[in-house]
Amino acid sequence: MDEKLRIMVVDDEKIVRESLYHWFKREGHPAETAASGPEALEKLEKASFDVLFVDIKMPNMDGLEVLRRVKEGYPDTIVIIITAYGSVESAVEAMKFGAHDYLLKPFRPDQLALVIEKTVSQIKLTSRYRYVKGLLDKITRFDNIIGQSPPMRELFEIIPEVARSDSSILITGETGTGKELVAKAIHAKSLRSNGPFIAINCGALPDTLLESELFGHQKGAFTGADRARKGFLEVVSGGTLFLDEIGEISPKMQVDLLRVLEEKKITRIGEREPIEVDFRLIASTRRDLPAAISKGDFREDFFYRINVITLQISPLRKRREDIPLLAEHFLNKYSRETTKHVDRITPEAERLLKRHDWPGNVRELENALERAVVLSKKRTLGVEDFSCLNVPTAARHDARTLKEREKEYIQEILMENDWNVTRSAQILGINRVTLHKMIKRYCLQRGQ
Amino acid sequence: MPNSISPEKGCIVVLPMGKVPESALEVVSDHIPLYFNHRAIILSPFRIPPYAFDEQRGQYNAATIIKTLESLNFEEYAKVIAIANVDLFIPIFTHVMGEAQVGGKFALVSMYRLMKGGEGNRLSTSKILERLVKVALHELGHLFDVVHCADAKCIMHFSGNIQDIDHIMLNFCTYCERYLEESMKRLLKPPTLPSHHLELP
Repeated sequence: MDEKLRIMVVDDEKIVRESLYHWFKREGHPAETAASGPEALEKLEKASFDVLFVDIKMPNMDGLEVLRRVKEGYPDTIVIIITAYGSVESAVEAMKFGAHDYLLKPFRPDQLALVIEKTVSQIKLTSRYRYVKGLLDKITRFDNIIGQSPPMRELFEIIPEVARSDSSILITGETGTGKELVAKAIHAKSLRSNGPFIAINCGALPDTLLESELFGHQKGAFTGADRARKGFLEVVSGGTLFLDEIGEISPKMQVDLLRVLEEKKITRIGEREPIEVDFRLIASTRRDLPAAISKGDFREDFFYRINVITLQISPLRKRREDIPLLAEHFLNKYSRETTKHVDRITPEAERLLKRHDWPGNVRELENALERAVVLSKKRTLGVEDFSCLNVPTAARHDARTLKEREKEYIQEILMENDWNVTRSAQILGINRVTLHKMIKRYCLQRGQ
Repeated sequence: MPNSISPEKGCIVVLPMGKVPESALEVVSDHIPLYFNHRAIILSPFRIPPYAFDEQRGQYNAATIIKTLESLNFEEYAKVIAIANVDLFIPIFTHVMGEAQVGGKFALVSMYRLMKGGEGNRLSTSKILERLVKVALHELGHLFDVVHCADAKCIMHFSGNIQDIDHIMLNFCTYCERYLEESMKRLLKPPTLPSHHLELP
């Protein structure tokens, strides 16, 4: 056997701990020991283990309780129960709680070798499963955009379609929803993917600077123009120009850009001769542009020019099922970047993340995960690592009625528990009949 | 102190525990220099401590015997391989044919179960001795820091039963041999604390 397992022996009897420890050492497996359940859980919190050999009868916390807690907190860790009594009941109970196998003390040395062999096979199977899951994850990821909610799946389907055309696209969505990522994905899938992708944040540049950035200028065209410079509209030729926060540009700039889009020509500042340009425009905004048009703040003709195709990205609070997936992605990302071994989020913390409204959307979630990983001293992120989220943003901004919130919460719990009514009712603290009535009352459906 | 021969620094001791045939001691002692580059000497028999006997199980506790050996003065020797002819166990296992700690100083093997098995025919003495040498060299390998090997033919492959012992060859595979050479150089550099003095993590 080539695979080395990280093993912990949990037994209150020193002689058992020592015997097994030395046996695993002879097998070449890195092993640790713990004299009690709490000590084992403490060690597990600091380092990961592939297998735990747990004695069923221990003072304070028995083996079944250790097994239950390990399976709850570290479901990937394999637990093998050791029992001296050989009672079928305790073995059956252990298997029911998720023990991988059990050994009756004393066992033959080759039985232990066989259990280890079976465990290695199980771990291999799990890693194969993870590989396949990784392939499936790619379905829930699209060029770094992550999501499995219906609106995100729809978006993943539409991106390759719109990428094929050369029409202008307007991406709408709240701040932090990943509009630039979508624009990049469209560019990557388009025929222009070999050309440049240039992103400009219109809201961050004053009008005059934006004009010179986009159109370029001749030497001496204005004070400080000590040399000629190509504008982005020229540089981006053959590629895609992404204008973020298009709703912030001035009416004059709207006219200038409208002309460029219609004529496919630009004139550098200080020059007379127009230059032909060839780019695809993707614009984005978090503003309600039709409302801005009716107020006279935005030109209607320009709006229709940039809005040939509209893609709307839902805010995170409207696709809460994507939160665990995104959280896992950012957890892995920052755990890798910081080289800290943080690889789990407790179910309570996950529930907190799912309940939070995320006004800053994915960007805010990413920041929360980064901060939590950097500051955490444990393997597992708990509710306390997200204390910054305790500000009840929902209460401040949410104008929903109590019934609306109740409906949404019930729906959320049902989805979390794969529509297992009994389990959901337990979590909600009501009985099954009441939950059925509420499902009917609120017309809740699976996949809603 | 079981010592009728003047101690020779750095050699490997073959220590009979109770009644062990002379031929068994000699065959183990003869093989040691061939594999471990160290001289081997046979000491006078040492009585198995009676408290190592577990009345309930009717077996001797190998860990207790090794602990007793650890308390005696064997400082001048590199390693000690004790040979017994009784049924051995450690608390978690039904039985053991040998016991040693990786990188430790003391190993214990027993001929008791090596005389059993076979295909219904009476086992020849040479077959029993061959098995004994394999188990003894395997346990000595552990004392020199070599762990179990994946190669099913290598002497360091884990043997759970007699059939496994018969299946392995009387040789270290290339990798274990190389590892053994390095370990011997490293471990025999005096003076270092033996691993049984270290606390368990």
